Amino acid sequence: MGEPHIFDMIVVGGGPGGYTAALYAARAGLDTLVLEKLSAGGQMALTGEVDNYPGFEEGIDGFTLGEKMQRQAERFGAKTEYAQVEHMDLAPSPKVLETSEGTFLAKTVVLATGANPRALGLPNEAALTGRGVAYCAACDGMRYKGKTVVVVGGGNSAAADALILSRIAQKVILVHRRDTLRATKVYHRPLMEAKNLEFRWNSVVTELLHGDKLTGVKLKDVNTGEETVLPCDGVFISVGRKPAAELVQGQLELDRSGYVVADETTKTSLPGVYAVGDVRTKPLRQVVTAVADGATAVHMAEEYLAGGR
Amino acid sequence: MAAIDINQEQFQQMIQGDKPVLVDFWAPWCGYCRRIGPAYEKVAEEYGDRLAVVKINIDEEGTLAEEARVEVIPTLILYRDGKAVDSIVNPGSKAAIDQFIQAALSQ
Repeated sequence: MGEPHIFDMIVVGGGPGGYTAALYAARAGLDTLVLEKLSAGGQMALTGEVDNYPGFEEGIDGFTLGEKMQRQAERFGAKTEYAQVEHMDLAPSPKVLETSEGTFLAKTVVLATGANPRALGLPNEAALTGRGVAYCAACDGMRYKGKTVVVVGGGNSAAADALILSRIAQKVILVHRRDTLRATKVYHRPLMEAKNLEFRWNSVVTELLHGDKLTGVKLKDVNTGEETVLPCDGVFISVGRKPAAELVQGQLELDRSGYVVADETTKTSLPGVYAVGDVRTKPLRQVVTAVADGATAVHMAEEYLAGGR
Repeated sequence: MAAIDINQEQFQQMIQGDKPVLVDFWAPWCGYCRRIGPAYEKVAEEYGDRLAVVKINIDEEGTLAEEARVEVIPTLILYRDGKAVDSIVNPGSKAAIDQFIQAALSQ
């Protein structure tokens, strides 16, 4: 057995932040590996049309943009392994990443694990996903053409989802635990004007009713405690996002919402470990800010590697 | 070997063959289906000697999808000796597909 291979950089997650880091690293001559569990693009892969990424004046679908970023990084020598990371040991040198495809070692690690939709945490929620429970109106809305759907949440993404669905479904019911929306003003008027949209204020979903598929939800009025059953074909859960940082819990400093603490330099609380994109503490989570992080992380990693680690 | 799209006739022939058949029921408009594409190609490469790894476009083969009771896509179904052994809906990682195949093959 020879010495195990040690990469200069391993990027965990193949979204825009991850593949930009890989692109910059490969172009800087670093021996770079991207670990991606499914396919390039991350959350962007499920976005039908990306209209705010400069350079694509007609818009581009998120999946295609993700694949382009991957191919661009690979053109300069970055490699991709379709592997699910199971455990990371980020303090030692080299850093150790145990995955479904074996163990990988690296001098530096870029965390680009992104974020996922937050779940309600109800029994059977995971099992019913795709069977009536959904988290993305732009992705799954078409399945509910002419049907009755519930949207849960009161922020911008819930408002946007409710509007998308009001154009597809026969009836949309927006369920929110407060008596008013947190969504930005621009959403209010179109929401009030949508004829097939109803509001259920001060209500929370307490149960998902189902046979093989979802058949309805049980709602509870938060003021009176009264419970009602609301039959529906689908429920779109839009209650925010959750950073994918479980794997580094206890190793890296996280903020109260679970994001990896890192400033504009993308440096985390451990040397040689960088956080880019949605998983990092930052004011704006967009494709353009994720790719900027990717470039910065490589700059910082080069400095670190030049220090002789 | 790349995962190829098959039609009803090919499907009937294949599931009667010696090799178990893994089918990805998909459609071009389905974002989640595109997302498992790269991992599924990798699966086709890795399991090619033990499994026939194929795809069925439910827009073109609606009857097949109905017979297989596929209501949500992507759905992967593993067939052996002409029968469906097990299925998985929208796997979240290549590792999840690997686990599904291994569990289904040992049934």
